Amino acid sequence: MHTLFDFLTYTKALGYIVAGLLLVGFIPFWMFLTEREREE
Amino acid sequence: MSELTVDAGPPDAGLSKHLTPFNIITGIILAGGAVILGIRFTQGLSATTNLSHNYPWGLWIGFDVMSGVALAAGGFVTSTAVYVFGMKEYKPVVRAAILTGFLGYFLVVLGLLADLGRPWRLPYAFIKSAGPTSPLFEVALCVALYLTVLFIESTPAVLEWLGLKRWRKVVGSLTLGLTIFGLILSTMHQSTLGAMFMATPTKLHPLWYSPHIPVHYFVSAVAAGLAMVIVEGLFSHRAFHHQVEISRQHFENINFGLAKAASVTLGIYCAIKVVALTLEDEWHLLATGWGAWYLFEVIGFFLLPCALFAVAYRERKLLLVRVAAIITVLGIMLNRFNATFIVFNWKLPAAERYMPSWMEIWVTMAFITFAVVVFRWIANHMPIMYEHPDWKGDH
Amino acid sequence: MSISRRGFIGGAAAAALATGTAEAGTVKKFEGYPGRYGLLHDTTLCVGCRSCEVACKEVNGLTPVEAPVGDTEIFDAVRRTTDTSLTVVNRYLEADNDQPAVYRKLQCMHCNEPCCATVCLVQAFEKTPEGPVLYHPELCMGCRYCVMACPYNALAYEYDDPLTPKVMRCTMCYDRIKEGLLPGCAEACPMGAITFGGREELIEIARERIRKFPDRYINHIFGEHEFGGTSWLLLSGVEFGKLDLEEGLTSEPLPAIATSYLGVVPLVVTIYPGLLMGMHAFSKRQQAVAKKEREEAVAQTLEAAEEATQKKLAAAADRAAKDKARAVDTAVKKALAEAEQGGES
Repeated sequence: MHTLFDFLTYTKALGYIVAGLLLVGFIPFWMFLTEREREE
Repeated sequence: MSELTVDAGPPDAGLSKHLTPFNIITGIILAGGAVILGIRFTQGLSATTNLSHNYPWGLWIGFDVMSGVALAAGGFVTSTAVYVFGMKEYKPVVRAAILTGFLGYFLVVLGLLADLGRPWRLPYAFIKSAGPTSPLFEVALCVALYLTVLFIESTPAVLEWLGLKRWRKVVGSLTLGLTIFGLILSTMHQSTLGAMFMATPTKLHPLWYSPHIPVHYFVSAVAAGLAMVIVEGLFSHRAFHHQVEISRQHFENINFGLAKAASVTLGIYCAIKVVALTLEDEWHLLATGWGAWYLFEVIGFFLLPCALFAVAYRERKLLLVRVAAIITVLGIMLNRFNATFIVFNWKLPAAERYMPSWMEIWVTMAFITFAVVVFRWIANHMPIMYEHPDWKGDH
Repeated sequence: MSISRRGFIGGAAAAALATGTAEAGTVKKFEGYPGRYGLLHDTTLCVGCRSCEVACKEVNGLTPVEAPVGDTEIFDAVRRTTDTSLTVVNRYLEADNDQPAVYRKLQCMHCNEPCCATVCLVQAFEKTPEGPVLYHPELCMGCRYCVMACPYNALAYEYDDPLTPKVMRCTMCYDRIKEGLLPGCAEACPMGAITFGGREELIEIARERIRKFPDRYINHIFGEHEFGGTSWLLLSGVEFGKLDLEEGLTSEPLPAIATSYLGVVPLVVTIYPGLLMGMHAFSKRQQAVAKKEREEAVAQTLEAAEEATQKKLAAAADRAAKDKARAVDTAVKKALAEAEQGGES
């Protein structure tokens, strides 16, 4: 990793993927959290 | 509402029925636009635009992309108000705002297809070689996703029109999730359109350049969205009056509510502009020529409508609300034009500057006309300006 | 206020705004590929012969120069690079009695941290280990963000080409360098105003020249640090501002400034869902509470109305009973009176 450009490419690419996974992961988290509310 | 049935009269009567002034004018505009685009793709951008090496972005980017995205913000603003914050009184305008938003973003894509050197390579950023370091990559990704979100959010009206109840129920259940996703995407790409100019600190005049540009662009986009809902309501309330079911009182209350929100948003915008001047120690620049232009933009098109909206809300003056909204829309356009080609490369001599060619203007008008024509057709056939009887009072 | 504060403040504020990536620019420093090449342009040696322009056009197969070498009228206007002129030489100061004219050659600076590469959404630019920044036209979709971003206005675009337009810029003769040849301009320059070599060595050469001839040179090597440094290094006898080069630029790499805001993206994506669902739940709760209060108010009103009705009924029954009693009383009194009268007669 010689240049800032290399560093930015690597970290930003990972950042997009991680952000996407976390966003998708929010849905099951919320469903789990509010499951009992919906059973009423 | 059955324009679905074919006119069974004699051929002459059928043709003349369609030769309305509206159709003739829009037809000429659209045909002219198609011809110019034909020239663009056979003789190049130089034959149809005034773009140059010093000004690579002109009207098609400044208006169709930059202003287009900001002015289409009414979709996420109203749907967030209604579905996330539960402000049900704005429900009557949500569908029109979403449709305006969808057509607005579609117009952005059309503008790009005209302006890009090789528009068929647009998917390359996702399928061939991604450039995640680029703010434009983020804009492209978010716009593509948001266009999808807006499309799905526009389908309930279509599904109600087609009577597909089960599909309509499924899509309806997605509304909250789509609204939140849409707000995430909008926050990101509206602000990043401003962040694109972070890369040009030496080419954009200090009064327009700021480390806070992304915040400025997002706040102004919210104001633009609110203003466009008012402006669009001004036209469609009249054009589709026979469909509208809410009382005049309710419609006016919606406009005054939007005016109140717009006043606050514009006030915030002017405040953060003052903050930027202070933090960057730029007050003395206001005494220059460019400073005068800056004051013209901020005071004339952001502070003024802020005050007008406030007075209009307090005194319940609908006409003033609409005047303020139009000024705001023009202000957004001026702000985006300034960054893209008016104040850009401000150190270059005046002779090198860019002015849009008549062909660029015509094509832009053609794209807007196309959006208006489609909006009109959809609103004439589908439950946009009213609630479908089978789905009255839904969520 | 000079632009230096602008670039610096922009960079510093942006670094404060970003989460981690700008740290790379301010705390860690990327040295780039070791042993990469550069070019030293000593503008005090340039006489404006434009042999470099001729050579560049030949090497790249472009249309010949508009005005022949030796024509001085071409210098009356300051030119920029175009899609058919990848390099141009401008005269920035005319000759006067004691000073010769001052010229500078313009072209892509082949930055250490190229902003064009950072803003390209398909990564059509590549910083090679040898030093040159390469452009890959097979990826380019022609958005021209790179042309917007280049701080040296070095990039041009083929607006005349309807279907296969490309970004046009100096390539540092990459293919020639790989073969061990000099770039076209360096080979053609008769005055030695262009020196090709390792970037580190060239900086040493430049420092040596300044040391040896302090009256001849401004004590600054342009391109050593500006916006993270460039492969083209310049020496000048006049202030660099007079050569249309920005003085006092920050050493923060321009890509760090350009990408500083992107750190917000993952934050928005991770914070908004919970925040907005919370706001939604809050507004629903407010509506439910308001609904309950309304129902309570209605129930109370109904009860109060019921009580009032009951009271009214009771009062009416009371009055009716009293009226009846009075009527009975009157009738009894009447009957008694009549009975008395009947008894007396």
